[in-house]
Amino acid sequence: MITPIVQVDKLTRHYRDVRALDGVSLTLEPDKIYGLLGRNGAGKTTLMSILTAQGFASSGDVRVFGEHPWENEKVLSRICFIRESQKYPDDFKPIHAFKAAALFFRNWDQDMAMQLAEDFQLPMKRRIKKLSRGQLSAVGVIIGLASRAELTFFDEPYLGLDAVARQLFYDRLLADYAEFPRTIVLSSHLIDEVANMLEHVIIIDKGKILLDEDAEAIRGTAFTLAGTRARVEGFAAGRTVLHREGIGSLVSLTLEGALSPGERREAQELGLEVVPVSLQQFVIRKTLDAGADLSGDADGAGAAAETSTRMGATR
Amino acid sequence: MIDDSKPIFLQIAEMIENDIVDGVLAEEDQVPSTNEFAAFHRINPATAAKGVNRLVDDGILYKKRGIGMFVATGARAVLVGRRREDFYEQFVQPLAREARKLGIDGGQLAAMLARETAAAGENALQNPDMAAMAATLKEGAS
Amino acid sequence: MQLINKWTFLGLPAVILVSSFGLTLAIWSMIPDTGTGPMYSGAGQAVMWYFFALGLQAMSLTFPFSQGLSVSRRNFFLGTVGLFAVVAAGVAVLYVVLGYLETATDGWGLGGQMFALAWIAERPWLVQVFFYFVLMMFLFLLGFWFATVYKRWAATGAVVMSLSLSVLLIGAGALITLKDWWPAVGAWMVSLTPLSLGAVVLVLVLLLGSGAYLTLRRATP
Repeated sequence: MITPIVQVDKLTRHYRDVRALDGVSLTLEPDKIYGLLGRNGAGKTTLMSILTAQGFASSGDVRVFGEHPWENEKVLSRICFIRESQKYPDDFKPIHAFKAAALFFRNWDQDMAMQLAEDFQLPMKRRIKKLSRGQLSAVGVIIGLASRAELTFFDEPYLGLDAVARQLFYDRLLADYAEFPRTIVLSSHLIDEVANMLEHVIIIDKGKILLDEDAEAIRGTAFTLAGTRARVEGFAAGRTVLHREGIGSLVSLTLEGALSPGERREAQELGLEVVPVSLQQFVIRKTLDAGADLSGDADGAGAAAETSTRMGATR
Repeated sequence: MIDDSKPIFLQIAEMIENDIVDGVLAEEDQVPSTNEFAAFHRINPATAAKGVNRLVDDGILYKKRGIGMFVATGARAVLVGRRREDFYEQFVQPLAREARKLGIDGGQLAAMLARETAAAGENALQNPDMAAMAATLKEGAS
Repeated sequence: MQLINKWTFLGLPAVILVSSFGLTLAIWSMIPDTGTGPMYSGAGQAVMWYFFALGLQAMSLTFPFSQGLSVSRRNFFLGTVGLFAVVAAGVAVLYVVLGYLETATDGWGLGGQMFALAWIAERPWLVQVFFYFVLMMFLFLLGFWFATVYKRWAATGAVVMSLSLSVLLIGAGALITLKDWWPAVGAWMVSLTPLSLGAVVLVLVLLLGSGAYLTLRRATP
């Protein structure tokens, strides 16, 4: 049994009459990449704030590295939390921010920070106040990566970063993680972009944990079945429907579970199309009320287009 | 390359298997490291490691301490043998099903297959394995 | 723990010092501008009010940043206040030196009184330093606490605090008027020396300091 580095027990946080967190219990194990997923206002940032002692719980217990993190330097020095809109002193330049970070993170890698700054084309000598939104995000991303903290939180770190810069972030994160394994919690809306990097997925909705599961276990736990209404409904009988949509006599159902090879064949014989569900769609289906939504979005079609099997891809 | 139909570690294992069957990775060749797989496919290194380790447990790959992973001698034969077992279910049955749907009878299907294998090269025709497969195909279509 | 503390005392102050030095210089350069006037000038106060602004800024911007760097609130408070104590002490000494210089050069040759206000300049230098120091710490902590209250309870908190402060002052004024204590108060004020006033302010500084710290302990960035 691995000793968890984070233990949260029945954590609740009220903001006046709003329950930002409602009885959250979870554990984080060392050296894994976690995805903390959910809609805006689901409680992701609140949870991370409390874990890093920047916010406070109304009730419940939090242990990080076995201790309560609040005003606990021993614990705090091993944590790094990069916020979506991290604030910096007005007259700071990126170089000052990195110098400050170098003072407080014991594993700080200055060379890496400088290399990243170059890769992100960050103007080191411009005041942070005058940086663009994307450059501001880059400062946070660089601090988060170069800090090499044992427990690093990234809260939607990519705001304003273009696709190239985001890819750079993901690549560097993976490469550095491979070299220096540590626990990383990535909170993101761009689930498809990060899905394959995650080892474990936590979905939070309305302050509650909806799912806390190994990423690999989720893959293949849902699928979309499309075809004529009668046949699809007949086949789906007895299964949990996560989502349904349809036009005329055609219907597309997202079902929980996996098909055995036999069932798959059966579906094919019925002329039904079986399409895998991406993590992003899985989260959407999970967080929207099951079966209640009949709005015809085109997600099902998108998934079909994305699905391409390529053999022997090793270069 | 990586999709959501099944766990990524299985897909990684299958990719390596494919490369071995295709001859891209010869026996006793070194396999890319876990981290190389992770970086190339942009996946979690732990997941890549799980895929590689599955093949190690299977005896397809073996570990040289401090150096890396290598394709075991005899790995290709094992994989080819295993795939043949699945061939009927995975390829022949769907083919026959589709043929039935389109009104192609067993004879026509066999002729098509003969044409295809001829086009694929004389070597293939002379291969006794192929002949056996063609026989299996007929069975499935009837 | 000791190491981290050391870093906080040396590191964070150094960082803040670097960042505020530019602004301080700007203020310094302003002083001759306004200070060359032939009469009294409030320029000497500018730096003191700047401390108020620094207190505000330290809290509203540096605090969230320090939280991002996983600095505990206690270390942030100690580091920040410690740094400003050092800076305030330095500035206080500077003021006194400048005051003597001013007297010696007959008000910079222009007869101006910027630093050497008679009431203070007559006192022993140690008292002068103490007085300036306490005054600056007071302004700094006032700004710091105000911003902390704002951080913790947002605009509502700041308004409530300002209101209650005004009510307190007005209440005190009313009470004094009601009881017809003004002559006594006036006499007390006249009797104040920099030393005794400094002592009164020092008590306020300690109050503000502990108030700010207690507020900060539960503040969120």
